[in-house]
Amino acid sequence: MQDTATTPPNDTLRSLLDGRLILVTGKGGTGKTTYAAVLAILSAARGKRTLLLEMDNQRPSLTPIFGREPVYTPANVLPRLDICNLTWEQALQDFIGSLVPSRRVVGLALQNKMVTRFLDFVPGSQEIVTLSALGHHVKPTDGAPAYDVIVADMPASGHAFSLLDITRSALGLFRSGPVRTRATELRAMLREASTKVALVALPEEMVVNETIETAERLRKYDLLSSPPAVFVNRATLPTLSDDERKLLERLGQAELDPLQREFVRAGTWEDELEQGTSESAVRLREALEVEPVLVPPGPPGGDLKETVKAVAVHLGRQVGVGRRDLPWT
Amino acid sequence: MDLTPATFDMDGWLDGRNLVVCVGAGGVGKTTTAATIALHGALRGRKTMVLTIDPARRLANSLGLKSFGNEETRIDLDALGHGEATGELWAMMLDSRSTFDTLIQRIAADEEAKKRILNNHVYRHMADTFAGSQDYMATEKLYDLVAGGRYDLVVLDTPPVKNALDFLESPGRLIRFLDERVLKWFLTPPETGAFGRLMMGTTAVVYKLMGYIFGDEFLSDLQQFFQDFQGLYQGFVERHKVVLELFRASTTSFVTVCAPTESSLDVATFFQVELAARDLPRGGVVVNQVHTCDGATHDAKQVLGAVAEELSADLSPATANALLARLGMAHRRLHALQVAEDELTERVRAAARGGGFYQEVERLDGNVHDLDSLLEVGRRLFARAATL
Repeated sequence: MQDTATTPPNDTLRSLLDGRLILVTGKGGTGKTTYAAVLAILSAARGKRTLLLEMDNQRPSLTPIFGREPVYTPANVLPRLDICNLTWEQALQDFIGSLVPSRRVVGLALQNKMVTRFLDFVPGSQEIVTLSALGHHVKPTDGAPAYDVIVADMPASGHAFSLLDITRSALGLFRSGPVRTRATELRAMLREASTKVALVALPEEMVVNETIETAERLRKYDLLSSPPAVFVNRATLPTLSDDERKLLERLGQAELDPLQREFVRAGTWEDELEQGTSESAVRLREALEVEPVLVPPGPPGGDLKETVKAVAVHLGRQVGVGRRDLPWT
Repeated sequence: MDLTPATFDMDGWLDGRNLVVCVGAGGVGKTTTAATIALHGALRGRKTMVLTIDPARRLANSLGLKSFGNEETRIDLDALGHGEATGELWAMMLDSRSTFDTLIQRIAADEEAKKRILNNHVYRHMADTFAGSQDYMATEKLYDLVAGGRYDLVVLDTPPVKNALDFLESPGRLIRFLDERVLKWFLTPPETGAFGRLMMGTTAVVYKLMGYIFGDEFLSDLQQFFQDFQGLYQGFVERHKVVLELFRASTTSFVTVCAPTESSLDVATFFQVELAARDLPRGGVVVNQVHTCDGATHDAKQVLGAVAEELSADLSPATANALLARLGMAHRRLHALQVAEDELTERVRAAARGGGFYQEVERLDGNVHDLDSLLEVGRRLFARAATL
């Protein structure tokens, strides 16, 4: 990653980090978790008490980044930064506990096989319960919030959409009762101006398509108050001059030996990546009416922790968080 | 980086399959791999169906369709200019709702019951919004296609579910829920049941609690739903059994698809363990989007200097040098990427030992969005593979 001395401030990123709840999603394999972690680290570095959470993940993806497995109860990993995993069993316990004062009744219910089967199957009940646990961190019913910012590493975009949309469809299914009330509250929380969505994309046609579709669905179902921020991960902007590209093309058509061909292939590979980035940026800008945030590739090898560090340094600079403010560097 | 020299005969493997299930994380080219396997099967003379979940529109287009529907659609292979293709390629996209409806229409006892279920409040929400219904329906549709006997080979592109092989368990989840004891429990509320007094204790408390949490209206909607589903339980159980047998058949293979990235290889490694633990037949591992780079030197000037000079005579003077510098860096980066990827894939190779073939498919320049590029992927995928 290149170090540029002067980096212009990034309004998209700043407004995102000024949010209270930041939901991070994107097509599978784009680097959602990396960006969720980076946003949380930057938020903590800006002096805010931050909670980074994932939604009922049986194999938590935050583990390799922070060297410990997130559990239901938030644990501190860096100054001002806690992580947790909203596991369903415990979220359910809290959910029922918040509705029913009697511990005995809660215990009875949770031990009852029928109840577990029921919740296993009733459409949306798992999602409501998990979202409810998320909502509890944003707006605790008992006392002041422990965190200034909550960053959620959501499932891949299709699933994330169903998860968020449950707050709407549940209203049709449950016509009275506390689940309905909770769904209404959660929907209101999602639509608050301080709730932000970040979509993570790659400079590839299929990924860009899905990113645009996700943003459009969120808009169509009125799940957002403001347009999402878009990150284009592993983005490299075109650097070849016209003459250089012309020469590269000529070399591509020339009679070459295998070793020579490998160099031309490497150059073409990089040039195509770069052109893909600028095409993707144009399409995202036109479709979503936001300026996508382009982030260059991290160190080779794809080591998660190293990638998180590199992206944090790169984005930090755009919001006034220097290398030295970051706990890892 | 070969495990063993290319000893695995991919064509022979495919010829012996009736069902190939592609599993893996999202974004690793699973749909492309599934389509490639199906195309290859068709070109080898078989009647092939690829059942795919939400493909990119371009891929659908490339197969000669605007978009996939829930209908079986034949793909025209003549355009490939591959000579006389004796087989057929069919494709279909999963639409959970209409699959679910079709299922109900088939197994409902009579016209009256069918109508009641399809109009039931709970059913409609379940089919429409239930996040897991896609998983149910993938196996449901599979039953249809394979049991129907219309195809020699079915290739299933599984949904990118968070929790790995959940989609296999899904019919189990449905059955668990529709278990007769559960139905009876719900259909006999404590106040009205014949043994009302006996059931007072825990059951009554829990029942009341559910009514309180989800609302009494929902509970009565649900009771109606159960009443209608009562007769269907046996049908579900039988279908589930057949699907499970199908998954374990000797002519079935699970192919784990991944890309050379840490997270997707983690998922792939996990799949290897899970498949083995569940006694499901492992076909092999495909690593897509692999980068390769030959040559030990990164000195582009030494390798290409003379040619570049000659070809840039009419271009601005610094062009050759500038481009050569770039090519050297690109070659170095590509080489580093190859080394890093090779290290990463080592883990999945270790986890997959004894699990069939191992094939790396080099990243193609540009997107895969027509039959010709699928054919190109196929050439790589069906080259002799390493044996795990």
